[in-house]
Amino acid sequence: MTRESESAETAVQRAGGRLSGELVWTVGLTVTVVAAAGFIPEFRALQFTSWAIYGLLALSLALVWGHGGIFSFGQGAFFGIGGYAYGISAINLSGMTGETFSAVIVAVIIAMLAAAVLGYFMFYGKVGDVYVGIITLATSLVLFTFMSSTAGHKYRVGEALLGGYNGMAGVPPLSYGIPGTELTALSPGQLLAFTVILACIVTLAVRALLRGPFGRVLAGVRENELRTQLLGYDIRLRKLIVFAIGGAIAGLAGAQHAAWALFINPIVFGLQQAAVVVIWVLVGGRKSLPGAFLGVVLVEGLASFLGAGGGSATPIILGAVLIAVVILLPQGLVPALHAVAQRWIPWLRERPAEIPFDESANIPDVLTETGGRRRTGVLEGVDLYKSFGGVMAVENVTLAFRDTGVHCLIGPNGAGKSTFFNLLVGRYRPTSGKVLFGGAPITGLEPHERVRRGLGIKLQVASIFPGLTTFENLWLAAYARLRVTAAATERAAQILDWLELRARAGDAASTLSHGQKQWLEIGMVLGGEPTVMLLDEPTAGMTREETARTAALITKLGKSISVVAVEHDMEFVRQVDVPVTVFHQGSVFARGSLEELRRDERILDIYLGRHRKAIA
Amino acid sequence: MSADQLNWLLNLFLSMQLSIAVLVIVSIGLAVVFGMMGIINLAHGEFLMLGAYTTLVGVRAGLYLWLAMLLAAATVGVFGLIVERLLIRHLYGRLADSMLATWGLSLIMAQGMVLIFGPSTQGIATPTGNIQIGNYSVAYYSLVLVGTAVALLAIVFWVFTRTRYGVMARAATQVPEMAAAVGINPDLVNAGTFAFGSALAGAAGALLAPLVGVMPTMGQAYIARAFMTVIVGGPGVLSGTAAASVLLGGVENIVSYLSTPFFGQGALLVLAIVLLRVLPTGLSGRWQRQL
Amino acid sequence: MRVNRAIGALGGLALSFSIIFPAAPAEPIIVGSVLDETGGLNIYGKAMADATNLAIKQINGQGGVLGRQLKLISYDAQSDNAKYTLYANQLALQDKAVVIMGGITSASREAMRPIMDRNKTLYFYNEQYEGGVCDKTVFATGIVPSQQVAPTVAWAIKNIGKKFYVLAADYNYGHISADWVDEYVKQGGGSVIGTDFIPLDVAEFGSIINKLQDAKPDVVFSLLVGGNHIAFYRQFAASDLGSKMKIVTATFGLGNEQVVVAPNEAKDIVAVYPYFQEVDNAVNREFVSMWHKEYGNDYAYITDSAVTVWNGWHLWAKAVQKAGSTDRDKVIKVLESGLSFDGPSGTVTIDGPSHHVIQNTHFGRTNDKHGFTIISSQKAVPPAYEQKVCDLIKNPNQHTQFTPGGKQ
Repeated sequence: MTRESESAETAVQRAGGRLSGELVWTVGLTVTVVAAAGFIPEFRALQFTSWAIYGLLALSLALVWGHGGIFSFGQGAFFGIGGYAYGISAINLSGMTGETFSAVIVAVIIAMLAAAVLGYFMFYGKVGDVYVGIITLATSLVLFTFMSSTAGHKYRVGEALLGGYNGMAGVPPLSYGIPGTELTALSPGQLLAFTVILACIVTLAVRALLRGPFGRVLAGVRENELRTQLLGYDIRLRKLIVFAIGGAIAGLAGAQHAAWALFINPIVFGLQQAAVVVIWVLVGGRKSLPGAFLGVVLVEGLASFLGAGGGSATPIILGAVLIAVVILLPQGLVPALHAVAQRWIPWLRERPAEIPFDESANIPDVLTETGGRRRTGVLEGVDLYKSFGGVMAVENVTLAFRDTGVHCLIGPNGAGKSTFFNLLVGRYRPTSGKVLFGGAPITGLEPHERVRRGLGIKLQVASIFPGLTTFENLWLAAYARLRVTAAATERAAQILDWLELRARAGDAASTLSHGQKQWLEIGMVLGGEPTVMLLDEPTAGMTREETARTAALITKLGKSISVVAVEHDMEFVRQVDVPVTVFHQGSVFARGSLEELRRDERILDIYLGRHRKAIA
Repeated sequence: MSADQLNWLLNLFLSMQLSIAVLVIVSIGLAVVFGMMGIINLAHGEFLMLGAYTTLVGVRAGLYLWLAMLLAAATVGVFGLIVERLLIRHLYGRLADSMLATWGLSLIMAQGMVLIFGPSTQGIATPTGNIQIGNYSVAYYSLVLVGTAVALLAIVFWVFTRTRYGVMARAATQVPEMAAAVGINPDLVNAGTFAFGSALAGAAGALLAPLVGVMPTMGQAYIARAFMTVIVGGPGVLSGTAAASVLLGGVENIVSYLSTPFFGQGALLVLAIVLLRVLPTGLSGRWQRQL
Repeated sequence: MRVNRAIGALGGLALSFSIIFPAAPAEPIIVGSVLDETGGLNIYGKAMADATNLAIKQINGQGGVLGRQLKLISYDAQSDNAKYTLYANQLALQDKAVVIMGGITSASREAMRPIMDRNKTLYFYNEQYEGGVCDKTVFATGIVPSQQVAPTVAWAIKNIGKKFYVLAADYNYGHISADWVDEYVKQGGGSVIGTDFIPLDVAEFGSIINKLQDAKPDVVFSLLVGGNHIAFYRQFAASDLGSKMKIVTATFGLGNEQVVVAPNEAKDIVAVYPYFQEVDNAVNREFVSMWHKEYGNDYAYITDSAVTVWNGWHLWAKAVQKAGSTDRDKVIKVLESGLSFDGPSGTVTIDGPSHHVIQNTHFGRTNDKHGFTIISSQKAVPPAYEQKVCDLIKNPNQHTQFTPGGKQ
């Protein structure tokens, strides 16, 4: 994705997220359709019902993909599972219960379980990106192949024949009634009203979910998976949850579809169905919930119109429309319409985000606040060795850091300080030796597990959530630790003050200056209330003023926690004026204050590349 | 081991080779486009179909079959170049969008072909001849396909390691900034890669034309399978595709033979899922040599 | 609702297409058709749509039905099964068609059937299929296995040999037909030494060729369907199996296989259908010339499916004429009385109780002109299985599909 489109998308998404008009639209449209349901001709009612059902299916992908960042090419699988589950349970149970709504619930549960199992298989196996797409597609095609060959009488569940490629016949419509009596099916008008109300409820529920803490963390996962993990979130679990919810919604749509068509067959598991869901979502706008419904209405409306008179041009027109959408409206229709609307209607224009904390409140200093609850622990590396294909990058390093104060690691390029840093962080495993934290070994732990134990990690390249606001960035960090919305908001506000970034609270993090991004990340690490903070070149690429500011921040930090910084910049090291360890050729070469080291001729030799016997 | 058993084994082995060869042939073009450019071309099947029709037209015009096949590869290559300039170049780095646009393209191409040639299936006679292995006869054309699959892999290897364009293309894939810095024009390289991938798809269609029915929708039968092979193969265009074809094609064939094609197809899909679970970045994901 | 209005406007546009039909003194009778004219299934759908248009044109040319012209509203399901549900609803509820014909695959028929039952609309399914549909509102004019498989097996046992190998498409049609082959082969004293079901998207038959070489049957009974399965005949010929075993089939030719596969590859394949373009009778000669006049002399081959559609429309038109009304129940009553029509394949008679047809079958052997040579024929073959299980005159409330071996 190009730079511009990314920031455009970001802006649109944020505006969309805050737009209370969206709520009004959703509810307003629902009320209108429900009120009109009795007067719409039967066929149109059935057609609109099918659109609302497909819209739910598209919504499930918008949630999973647009918001969860999981490219599921197999939403059709859960749709189909829901459809078959409805068919089987409605055929078997409706005689006893006298209605079929319970079958819809059964279908939703089964589809959700199926999604959870597949999700566990994928996300706990660290399968990512396009590979998730393939696994979901392959799963769908497996179901297609299997269900297609279930013709014959041996394939039956209770009274329900699976029916093979021809499909399951005799699926009851959505019906109500008294147990033991004949079913009373919903009329097309009632069905439309019911479907639209249900779609509205699901949409609002998803919206609420996305605006809550879960949605914010999800946004974090989508924006920057590594950072989310380094804040201590278990991203696998979150992906699993959103995938299961998506599966449940797709299953709901599938159950309703089977009840609508009175029929379900394996074609719903096919490649065509898989692709068409993606198309609906892309046309409507990947992240837009109303867009999911609009995409369906446009694509299906066009296709059904063309089928009645498009003749042989039908696929050509459809294809051309798809290409036009990609080229002309890369963000999809809803975001594009929204951008146009913003130009003409002033009150839709982007306003600065509201920050949910009280401006006038007396905000205590974040460090004194956390200082009271501070855990203590000494981080140490013992006899560490690390070799890369025979080359020793770190050789016999034993180093412990005090539980407060700043410590700098310096050395020329290739001296081994970054490798050592990564051993502490957990991105590399040592060839031999141990990493201890508070006396306990953490050598085998993943980075996010170390974070939970009180390590704070800031990597060299600023790793923030560019599409979220400055405040949201900090909120996510605080929430990772506190898990209480209000407390996280308060803590985020404190850190914001501490960083002196309050004026930028509502701006997207991507708009911050380079230095501000680095500070923001330091603030995010602080949000996790670490005992030890590990910083990799915190001042790389900064101006003089920014470096000075950073040095001041870090000095302040060092008063309550232990800070370990890998640095190149001697100016910074001089400003913080703390103990320094010099790395050379993979080993600790010297230790002491900067003043002491300055007097050491050998250090100058290393930095200036002078060779003397003493080194050799 | 008796001669009969030996013949049986040899025959089974050859039939496995054919399955593998077909997978290599249909997926190598897609692998080049996906591996080098990060574009998923859902119209790959229709490119294949275009190659098959070009061969058909060539043969009907009196061309020698092999010449018609070469013509098909060249035609689809040029077509690919045009498509890249008009459409694909807007889609770099937009994986999902590339799928949507190429899906649209595939609809247009399939129906365009219906308008030109009609919907019904057509065909070219399979080059006749077969060899006898004991009681079994193996079609000569199957052996040609196996040989051609190897030749296609060799051509891809040669293009990417021995030609100026190939080296530039690999550089542009691996270190884009650096490639731009040393004066490689990414536009040119991308256009070249897409045209090359398209030509390979055209060649695939040409090679399949004498084996299957040629019809506007013939591409659909191959797209999912090719897609699966490429992704399971992972980032290595050549090594990944070859390894995935051997595994998936081999397993499908042997399971089909021992049970039924239904289980064969199921085995292919399940194997793909399991492989991706165990090796989340594809078969070649951890290999040092990225080609 | 803006969308609604837009759809209304589009509907108006669609309506204006109808103006091209000549104005008739009385209000036209609206009839409906849904077929896959585009997308993957258009190999079959295009010919069936051509037959539909020609049939309507001919009926209207002869003065229409009950002195009224027919107005055909046809929808293209675009090879998307879900669209059948949609268009069946649209034809029944919105367009108020008095009869709906269409559906190609059994899946599409099964998608439409519950809609027809719910809306009480008369429905004709005009395509060869696996048989057994027993539904008061549905008439199936295509050939069914008991009409097709039984004579084919009998012929093969008499002329080729007793060891059969069955290759069938892996869906309902293939499975049910394979069961029939099994049964008739046993009745005829032969044996089925192997059966394989091939998924519809498989185009690679290497493993099957191997199995055939292992099993060495006399007869390969092919129930393969669709463009991908054409590859079988080629790979069969390329491995020179034709010298060791012969293919008989109930499906070769439906997708113009004999046109696709070179004559030397498709040598000696025997197929059984009610209709081959080569059938020699006066009605067919006139039909073929009419077809060629309409669609050009280079039209590849008129398939059995196309003629089945043709028969369907004419049977319905004749029934309406006789009933004096388009009313569903009156028309069904006339159809059930054993109405017959002289079509290109000979006389086609509705079997009242089962809602299927009694018709002639012809044996065609592939020839060197991409066509068939008729080698024998049988007159008035009944749909034996359907007659046995289904009696809609006695049990008018049935809406089901019988399959062999089931308890239904």
